[in-house]
Amino acid sequence: MTALLEAKDVKKTYKMGKVLVPALRGITFDVEEGEFVAVFGPSGSGKSTLLHVLGGLDRPDEGEVLIDGIGFSTLNDNALAEVRLRKIGFVFQFFNLLPRLTALRNVELPLTLADVPEKDSIKKAEDTLKLVGLGDRMNHRPSEVSGGEQQRVAIARALINDPKIVLADEPTGNLDTSTGGEIVQLMKRLNDEKGQTFVVVTHDPAIAETADRILYLKDGLIQRVKEGRRRL
Amino acid sequence: MRLKRIFSMAWENMKLRKLRTFLTTLGVVIGITAIIALASLGEGFRMSITERMEQGFELDALTVIPGSLFAGMMPQRFTDTDVENISRIANVSVVTQVMQIGNVTLYNGDGEVRAFVAAAVNFTEFQQVFPDRFIFEEGGMPKQIENDTLIIGHKVNHPNETESAFVHPNDEVTMTVRIFTFFKNYNFTIAGTLQKTGTPGLTNFDYWVFMPLDTARKIYGTNSSDLIFVKVSDPEFSGTVAEQIEGLFPPYQITVLVPLSFIQQVNSILNMVEIFLTSIASIALLVAGIGIMNIMTVSVMERTREIGILKAVGAKSRTVLTMFLAEAALIGIVGSLMGVPIGYGLSHVLSYVLSGFVSPQQNRVFQRPEVERVTIVPIFSWQWAIVAVIFGIAICILFGLYPARKAAKLDPVEALRYE
Repeated sequence: MTALLEAKDVKKTYKMGKVLVPALRGITFDVEEGEFVAVFGPSGSGKSTLLHVLGGLDRPDEGEVLIDGIGFSTLNDNALAEVRLRKIGFVFQFFNLLPRLTALRNVELPLTLADVPEKDSIKKAEDTLKLVGLGDRMNHRPSEVSGGEQQRVAIARALINDPKIVLADEPTGNLDTSTGGEIVQLMKRLNDEKGQTFVVVTHDPAIAETADRILYLKDGLIQRVKEGRRRL
Repeated sequence: MRLKRIFSMAWENMKLRKLRTFLTTLGVVIGITAIIALASLGEGFRMSITERMEQGFELDALTVIPGSLFAGMMPQRFTDTDVENISRIANVSVVTQVMQIGNVTLYNGDGEVRAFVAAAVNFTEFQQVFPDRFIFEEGGMPKQIENDTLIIGHKVNHPNETESAFVHPNDEVTMTVRIFTFFKNYNFTIAGTLQKTGTPGLTNFDYWVFMPLDTARKIYGTNSSDLIFVKVSDPEFSGTVAEQIEGLFPPYQITVLVPLSFIQQVNSILNMVEIFLTSIASIALLVAGIGIMNIMTVSVMERTREIGILKAVGAKSRTVLTMFLAEAALIGIVGSLMGVPIGYGLSHVLSYVLSGFVSPQQNRVFQRPEVERVTIVPIFSWQWAIVAVIFGIAICILFGLYPARKAAKLDPVEALRYE
């Protein structure tokens, strides 16, 4: 069985002024369907860069990322946007919701981009918001709800297009411990109940501990892999 | 993403920044207003001038005058043979000759009036050439062409509008005519008095008196005449007929005045003036376009993070480009559609204000007597409106293109990091 997501010797170097900063120095790993993978590491270890490359937001200098067997390097920018739209959901540390749109409209946005008729997209956005426990917050703008609720909206937005994989970048990084715990529980529940595949980048041990597998990242390399809590 | 959704999102975006949107749109409104106001006035001006010229010139009446503007030849006198030759040209319906006698004075026993021109004509033919001008106030055409009948122009008969007429039909008058260096009196009976006619091509018949050609020829002992009026069966033949008339005479001996070509000339000059004025007005629209570019560039910077989010969730560059262009286009559509009626309204205001500055010159020979107040009635032209709206939208999209491309080209990772 081929993996859902494959990273093959991914390298990426940033230029900071005149200095070259190697962020990823050859990363190889697979993610199977239904897995909950945590990428754990200190800040500056290349976690975010890895997530951007895995999500097709950024292109690696070397190596290849494949999703469903399709190599990103074979896709142009438009096709890559299409992959992000259809197959990948993003959750960010700072939520990245559009401030002027209501929760419902934020969640609906990917469906709008995918040309789903408004009647269907509204219905689906409502269902998804209920799934993340925000059935009573649909018409609030991001500024009118708490951080934890904003992150739930972001998770709902990530899920709306039934993506193959959700990539989360420090999803609890901007939340207090108990709210962060709730977000982790939500993601875990989605993983358990719906079989939703997650790759979560974090330096929060609480997330890492719940993962099926933990990749320890340091200086742009995977230092070790720890099999975590096994799913039944 | 469907265009309809993109436009509705753009509309929502613009509503969020009401003042900014209003000010940006105002620039377009002003530009389109200026264009439409000047175009409507220009069209009105053209229409009033054309109308006046059409009233002033019988389009089907050519005037053959001696001499030429380019060569000071000996004045050509016309003969009956010339008239006959011209009448043989195809599409010529009537040819009539006129002998002009300058500055005559009429006495009726009580007083005197002066006439600018005493025209010796064949009454019947003359009326055929100028049916709209030879309309009688009192009396009519002489029953038979008698040698001592006069038809008197309106202004000659009413030198002072408020006073009663100088003569009525069947009155006897004495006309003093200058022959070379001495004056001689002749007695005439008034056959008819004319209504006000307005200015034809050469001069104003209101200041003329008309006498039979034969009488004048006897007085002066000549068989020639000063000018010839040629009526063509349709104004469209006037060009070819004029050429053939010119061909009958030695070069530069005569000039044929073709009213249609005057009007066409004036029309093309007015066209140029109109295009010139509207191009000046277009500068306002260009300035508005630069304003749009400016505001949108700022807007793209402000919304960098938003663009990053859109791209992260899967918006294509083309979609982002279209979103920003849609905002520019909306500004163009709304601004242009508002500018058209406002511009038309402004043209009425301008026409009212302008008409106050142009006061009619009274009591001039070349002034149409019935003109009381010079007004230009602005004319709404759909062509101009459509051109202006398309131009307005095009300018907005054109100037929106740079900031929109800038937005579309943003790197999603960079844009997401933007604070």
